[in-house]
Amino acid sequence: MSFIEVTGLRKVYRLGQEKVYALKSINLRIEKGEICCILGTSGSGKSTLLNMLAGLEKPTRGDIIINGVNIAKLSERKLAKFRQENTGFIFQAYNLIPQLSSLENVGMPLMFKGWSRRKRDKEAKKMLEAVGLKSRMKHRPNQMSGGQQQRVGIARAFVAKPNVVFADEPTGNLDTKTTADVMELMVKMCREHNLTLILVTHDLDIAKYADRIVHLIDGDIHSDEVNKAVYDPFADKVDDKSKQPAS
Amino acid sequence: MKLFDMIIMCLRNLWRRKGRTLLTVIGVIIGCCAIIVMISLGQGMNAAMDNMLASWGDLNAITIYGNSRYMWVGDSNSNSEDRPSLDEDALEMMKNLDHVETVFPKIEVDSNYVTVTAGKNGRYRASWMEIYGVDFSALEKMGYVPEQGDYPSGDDTLHTLVFGNEAAYQFRDTKKRGQNSYTYKQMLPDGTWSEPFFDPMTESVLIYVNNMKKQNDDGTYQSGGRAYEFKMTTAAVLEQDNDWQTVYSLMIDMDLAKEIINSYNRLNNVKDAKDPEFSQIKLWVDDINNVDAVETILSDLGYNTSSMASQRKSMQGQLGVVQMVLGCLAAISLLVAAIGITNTMIMSIYERTREIGIMKVLGCFISNIRVVFLMEAGMIGLLGGAIGTVISYVISAVMNTLGSDTFANMFGIYTDGSSPISIIPLWLVLLALAFSTVIGLISGFYPANRAVKISALEAIRNE
Ligand SMILES: Nc1ncnc2c1ncn2[C@@H]1O[C@H](COP(=O)(O)OP(=O)(O)O)[C@@H](O)[C@H]1O
Ligand SMILES: [Mg+2]
Repeated sequence: MSFIEVTGLRKVYRLGQEKVYALKSINLRIEKGEICCILGTSGSGKSTLLNMLAGLEKPTRGDIIINGVNIAKLSERKLAKFRQENTGFIFQAYNLIPQLSSLENVGMPLMFKGWSRRKRDKEAKKMLEAVGLKSRMKHRPNQMSGGQQQRVGIARAFVAKPNVVFADEPTGNLDTKTTADVMELMVKMCREHNLTLILVTHDLDIAKYADRIVHLIDGDIHSDEVNKAVYDPFADKVDDKSKQPAS
Repeated sequence: MKLFDMIIMCLRNLWRRKGRTLLTVIGVIIGCCAIIVMISLGQGMNAAMDNMLASWGDLNAITIYGNSRYMWVGDSNSNSEDRPSLDEDALEMMKNLDHVETVFPKIEVDSNYVTVTAGKNGRYRASWMEIYGVDFSALEKMGYVPEQGDYPSGDDTLHTLVFGNEAAYQFRDTKKRGQNSYTYKQMLPDGTWSEPFFDPMTESVLIYVNNMKKQNDDGTYQSGGRAYEFKMTTAAVLEQDNDWQTVYSLMIDMDLAKEIINSYNRLNNVKDAKDPEFSQIKLWVDDINNVDAVETILSDLGYNTSSMASQRKSMQGQLGVVQMVLGCLAAISLLVAAIGITNTMIMSIYERTREIGIMKVLGCFISNIRVVFLMEAGMIGLLGGAIGTVISYVISAVMNTLGSDTFANMFGIYTDGSSPISIIPLWLVLLALAFSTVIGLISGFYPANRAVKISALEAIRNE
C-alpha cells in the first residue's frame, strides 16, 4: 500500500446553475519520501487537488487515503489531530502571524499539539537554525525579507516532524535567486528526514527539483512521469539514495 | 493547546486592539457600577429601615392584644367579641408554640379603677395612673433595667411596686394649687434632672380602689375603704425603656392586679364581671425569620397580633418595588455593554479571519479557537466588573461621606440619617464579578461560533 492513495477523485463547484469541474477523475499513488510536483497552468486544478489531499476540502466523489486513513471520512476534530501528526504546510503568501516573532510562529504547530512553551521553543530554535535564521528568532515577519519569511514558513512546516509536507506555489512571491535558495532548502529538509513533499507549481524550473512530475490539464492528469534528470544540489551527499518512484 | 497558551493568546489579542478593548470595558464598567451602586442603595435603605424599626421595638417580638372594652377605630373588620380570650390556657398554648422563647403576659388595671397616693395622708396623688400586672421574674429577660433599686425578689412580692422612669412625676401635690401642683422631668440649668415631689424608693405608696359612687369635687374618687387599700413598697425605678411603654406607668404583681380588678367589680357591683384576662401578651421568637410563621398561626386562631416584623415586611415590599425599578435601569446599561462586547468580538473576527484559517490549517482544534474567543469576551466582562467594583466603592464612599441627607433627598431615598445610604456587602462584589463575567461569556458566544465556522480555505486563499 502506498503512502498516499487517491482514487476516482472528483471536485465539482457549483456557481449558480453552472457546474465547474475543478477535478474530473484523479487516480494517484505517492510513496513515502517522494518529492512529487503537481504541474499545470493557472486554473488547471492544482490547488484544489492539494487542498483535498491536506483535508482542507471535502471531495465531491472519491477517496483519499493517507497513511492508511481515509481523510475524507474524518470528523473535524480527528482531521485536526491528523494534521497535527502528519502534515506540514507551506503557503505562497507565507501566512505567518504578523504579531508573533519567528520563533513563536515556528512553534505554533507544536503549541496546537499541546507542547509546553519551553519544549516548543527549543524545537523551534533548532528548526530556525536549520533554515539559517538563528539570528532572526525575535524578528517579526514584517522585519524580514520575503525569502526569510518563507524560510520561517518552511521551519514551521517541518517543526512537528510531519509525514508529508504540502507546498502551494511556495516560491510564487519570490525572485529567481531566492527561489533557488528556498527550493534547495526545502528539498534538503525533505531528504534529510525522508519526508514526502507535494509541491504545486506552474513553473517548469521548479519542477526539476522533484522526483516525479504530475501534469494537470483542466482537472485531469495529462501525464505522470519520473523526472529523469532530478536537479539535486546535494547529489554528492545523497548519491546512493534510490530515486525510483512507484509506478 | 495548553490552557496557559490560550490565556496568553487571549490577552495578546485584547492588547492588540487595546483601544477598542478599553472602550468596551468602559461600557461594562458603567453597567457594573450602575448595578452595584443601585443595589448598594437598596442595601442601605434596608439597613436604615431595620435600624428604624429596631428603635421602635424588638424585631423578634410579637404582641397579642386582648379584648378591650373600648372599640378600636381601625378594628372594624372583626368583632372583638369573636376573639378567643387571652386567658391562662391561651398563655400556655403560646408558650408551647415552636420557636417561641419567652412569653410576657400583662394585665392592665384600668386607670379608672384605682387611685395611687404617696406621702403623709396621701398628700401626693395620681388619679389616672397606668398600672400593669406583670410577672416580675421576667422583667430582666424583657430588657427592663433598674435605674434605682433592684429587680423585685424574694417569696412575697405581692405588694412590691416597680416605677416606670417618669411615673413618679405623674403625682400631684394636693397641698399646692394651679401650676405648682404639677411637676415633670426636665433638665435643670446645672445639668441635673428635676426631682419628683417624693422619692418613690423611700416613701410608701398606697393603691386604693375607687368607689365610683363617691366622687370628689375635682372629679377624683374616694377610696372604697380599708379593705380596698393596698400598701406598697417600691423595689425599683426603671431606666427609660426603648419602647416607651412603661415610662409613665407602674408595674405590680400579676396576682395583685387580678385582686384589684376583682375588688373593683365587687365594690361597684359590676354586672357580668368576668375573670380578669390578660390585656396583652408579648412573645419573643428565637429568630427574626420565624416571626412571620408564628404570627400567622396566632392571627389564624383569631388573635389580634402586631409585630415589627410584619411592619417590616410591608415596608420591605414597598422598598422592593423601588429597588426593582433602580435595578432594572442598571440592568439596561449592562445589557448595552453586553451588546458592545458582542460587537467588538464580531469586528475582531473580520480582522482575524486569516489568522484563524492559518491556525486551522496548522492543526488547531476548533474547541481551542472557541475557548480563546469566549475567554476574550469573558475577560472584557471580568475586567469591567473588577474596575467597576473598585469605582463603585469610591462612589459609595463619596455618597456616604458627602452627607447622606443630601443624596437621600436627591434620590428620594428613605434614610434615618445615621446609617450609610450605600452599603456594598461582599456577596454583592462577588455577584457583580460573576455576573459581568457571565455577561461577557454570553456576549462572546455568538462571535465564537462564527469564528469557528470560518472556512480555513477561504481564509488562506491568495487574493
Ligand atoms: N471555491 C471555488 N468556487 C468555484 N470555483 C472554484 C473554486 N475554487 C476553484 N475553483 C475553480 O476550479 C478550478 C481550479 O482552480 P484551482 O485549483 O485554484 O487552480 P490552480 O491552483 O491550478 O490555479 C478553476 O477553474 C477555479 O475557477
Ligand atoms: Mg493555485
